[in-house]
This record gives sequence, C-alpha cells and structure tokens, in this order.
Amino acid sequence: MSYNHELVSLSVGAIATIGLYTILYRENKFYRFFEHLFLGLASGWALVALWTETLKVMWWDKMLGSAAADGNQAAMGYWPYVMLLPVGLLGYTVFSKKHNWLSRIPIGIILGFYSGQQFNAWTNRYIPQISGSMKSIIPTAGFFKPDPNTLNPALGPVKGDLYGSEALNNLIFVLTILCVLSYFLFSFDVKSKVIKNASLAGRWLLMIGFGAIFGTTVMMRFSLLIDRMYFIWIEFIKQGILHIK
Amino acid sequence: MAITDPAANKSLGEKLQSVPKPVLYLVLFMLAAIPLFFPVKLPNKPIDASVEMFTNVMALPEGSTVLVESDWTNSTRGESMGEMEALLRILMRKKVKFVVYTIADPQAPQVSRDTIRKIADEEAKAGRYRYKPFEDYLVLGYYPNGEGTASAINNKFVSIVSGKKDWPENSAPRDVSLSPVLKGIKSVADFKYLIVVTASSTTNTVLERITKVPMMFMVTGVMVPETTTYYASGQIKGFCGGVKGVYDLETLMENGLNVEGPNKIVSEKSTEVIPGFPGMQNTGKGMAYYPSLHFALFLLILAVVTGNVGMFLAKRKGA
Repeated sequence: MSYNHELVSLSVGAIATIGLYTILYRENKFYRFFEHLFLGLASGWALVALWTETLKVMWWDKMLGSAAADGNQAAMGYWPYVMLLPVGLLGYTVFSKKHNWLSRIPIGIILGFYSGQQFNAWTNRYIPQISGSMKSIIPTAGFFKPDPNTLNPALGPVKGDLYGSEALNNLIFVLTILCVLSYFLFSFDVKSKVIKNASLAGRWLLMIGFGAIFGTTVMMRFSLLIDRMYFIWIEFIKQGILHIK
Repeated sequence: MAITDPAANKSLGEKLQSVPKPVLYLVLFMLAAIPLFFPVKLPNKPIDASVEMFTNVMALPEGSTVLVESDWTNSTRGESMGEMEALLRILMRKKVKFVVYTIADPQAPQVSRDTIRKIADEEAKAGRYRYKPFEDYLVLGYYPNGEGTASAINNKFVSIVSGKKDWPENSAPRDVSLSPVLKGIKSVADFKYLIVVTASSTTNTVLERITKVPMMFMVTGVMVPETTTYYASGQIKGFCGGVKGVYDLETLMENGLNVEGPNKIVSEKSTEVIPGFPGMQNTGKGMAYYPSLHFALFLLILAVVTGNVGMFLAKRKGA
C-alpha cells in the first residue's frame, strides 16, 4: 500500500472514530452519518461475502460443475442442488399476507436440524462440567502445596496428592454450587431453615458472580476505548502524520 | 429578581454525586491516551490458563497444522487483534501451518488476512521466514450457519473445504485442496488443536459440536468468566482472555517459562523449561494497553467510591 493510500485510509478511520464518539456530547448529524455509513458498508460487505464465499462456491459452482483449462469437464454438475433454491425462496413469502404461511417451511427445516443437534450439544457442553464439579474435599497431604520452583525438576509437577489448601478451595466450590442450586428450588415451599439460609447465601454468591462478570464487561469496554485512542494518537498522528516509529 | 446559581446551594454530598459527564469522559479519554505514549513493562504473573495455552502452542512440532477459527472484526480490535497477533507470532516462529475459517461475521476473513499479512511482514523485516498464503496458511473464508458448519467440521471436514478457493501470492485463486497446508488432513482430528479467536458466543457453538480435536480459546474480557468454567472442567486446554491474556502471552514469549533469570516465571502447570523468543518482537498490544487499562479502571473505582461517599454524606445531611 502506498504512503498516500495508507494516510487516506488512516484519516478516514480517524474521522469516523471521532464522528462516532460525538454521541457522548449529544445526538447529532455527524454521528448519524457515520453510523449509517458503517451499517451500509457492513451490509454491503455481508451480501457480497455471502455470494462469493458461500453461495457461489458451495452451491452454484457445484450445481453447474466445472470445466478444466482444456475445455473438458473437470467436475460433474450436481443438479439436485437446484431444489434448494425454491425452498430458500419460500422464506421471502413472509412479505406476502396471502402466502406468508409458506415461509414456515424453510424455518421448520432449520428448526428441525437445530433441534436434532440439541441433545448432543447439551451433553457435550454440560456433562463434563457436571462431572468436573464432583471434587474431593478430603486432603491427602499437608496443607500448603510446595512451590514447584523449589522441587527437583526431575520429579516433575506435583500430582496425585490433594493438599489442604486445595481441599479448602474445593470445599468452597462445592458449597457455592449447593447454595446456588438451593436458590433455584422454586417448585415447592421451602420450610427448612438450613435450606432457606443456603438459598440466601446462594443469592449473595450469585450477586458476587454477576459483579465479577460486570467488572470484566467494563474492562472490555475500556480496552476498546484504549484501542481507539491508540489508533488516533499512535497509528494516525504519531506514525501516520509525524512518522515517529 | 436576583438569579441564584443552583450549584452554589448544593451540599458537598450532592456535588460529589453530580460530577458532569463530559468531565468524566474527558478524564477517561486522557487516562486512556496518555500512558500509550510512555510504554512501561508492568510486573505480571501469568494465570494458569495462559501458561497452559503457551505451553501447548510452544510444544507444537515444526510442520504441524492447527485449525484457527477467527470470529472477530475491528469492533473488538482492542482485545482480539492482540490475541491473534501473539498467536501468529508463535505459530510463524515455530513454523506451524494453520487453516483459518469464520462462522460469526463475513468481515472476519478479511480482518484475519490483514493481520496475518502484517505479522508475516514484521517477521520478514526481522530477517525471519515470511509466511506465504496458500503455501503456509489458508483462509477458507466465511461460513454462515455456525451450528451446521461446526457439525460438518467434526463429522466430515473434507466437505467444508470442498470447492473453497484461496489466493496464492501473486496468483489467481486456486482450489484449497491443492494447498500443501491440507496435505495429510483427512479429518479435523488430524489438526493438533482448534484455536478459537472470538468475540462472540461461537465458543459455545464449537464446544457443543466439535469433539475430535483438543481446543483452546482466545476470548474477550467479558467472556472470561464463562470460559474459565470450560477451562476448569477440562473442556479446553488453555485460554487467553482479554488484554490481561495478551499481556500474559507476551510476557511468556519474552521471558519463557521456568527459565532462570531476574524475570523468571514459574507455574505449577509445568516444570518444563520453555524458552520464549528473547530478543525478538514479542510485545504488542498487550504491553501497550495494559497501563492504560489500569488507569481507566482506577478512574472507575474512584468514581464509584466518590459517588457512594457523596450519597452517604447527602443522606446524613438529610437525616
């Protein structure tokens, strides 16, 4: 990429970034312009990519077959793929009041495929987590785990033994799971004081968990802001305009 | 009639609760920008998940191949690009081939191509081997319907690459089945790892459907809590989360693991001595953004404390 081309590209990026951040001051036309520009570009790009990277190579070309450089047939066309077109087009009948029931056919096919995968998907995602939650809480060695730095490297990492500190961690983990699960006992009236207290503790633990998740969310948003600052101050002004590396 | 300034009648508690938003934004922008001009190496102890990911990637033999799912675009450049760059630096220096595909966003393949080219150029400028498209890596492009694609990858990988084309250097697009990168790859199990670099829930999609190859994730900060669950249950073999994850990888690339020296990094995950890449360009966005992130978070904590103190003072005055 030539220097001028790169500078123009950086300048457009910097102006667009500033334009989008003007929303912090108040709603304005400058912001709206760049918002629509971004949406338009993303939609246009998606349409082209959908054809060039998916429909053409995985459907159209396979349906028509291909010719070798000498003009002979290289790959046979697979004509049954043409049947997919009317099924896909039925999706657009959603815009017709009279025929919109037809759009349920492709939706039903997609839902059927998706539902069929769900049992396996659920198993793959949650069974390892359930089995991973069965943690031992009885220590088999001393309280503190030795620092791997002080061990003889020839012996390899410390494995097999459960140290007291690890058992304590596991105990906190197991208690947290039980308390949080007890919070979701909605099906019957809980009268036991133990379960009521566990449920209350579960609520508090959930709040702590949500707080941690919120903290990481904020951290991520800050990272995105820092990146934009890096783009404007370092990539655009320092390196792009002032040529300071 | 004299006009009185309403701010003048405000108590300290009320003033603390009503700091103007533009002032907060201005301070935040300054705190985010100023440290970028003064890069400093902050002390860092990489977390186990980062150490395990580094250990696994560093153990890849030369010439092996990994599958990379790249599901990020410029909207999460602040975290995902640093992760991708760190990963690419290691893969290229270890001469590991890679195949990139996308299921989340049609823009992602082009963003991946740009990032790969940038790191390949950086390596070439430093006098090392320059990765070539089609010869050393493939970008398969975008696949809509992530669920169906993930199932197909797991059950019949060849169906995913069939008909796909990629651009060799200075040449017309060619069928990817002719690329040396896919030599010997018949199933997804032939890849050493599936590494998912993502800013969306595609981690769940692949975790639920791909079972034949071990996985590692590179995720944004907001995804760290749920990804930690997958790591703790052994469903993934390591992960890199947010700017902290990037800085972890960069620290490990710079100092290695269990390598004697003033900056020795140890972990109970491995006692093996793994030298990093001393003297090479190891730091990038992780080191650049980490100090700014600290300052921004400090401002947030200060704002929360100030607001609460203000509320406490205002309530006490009201009582």
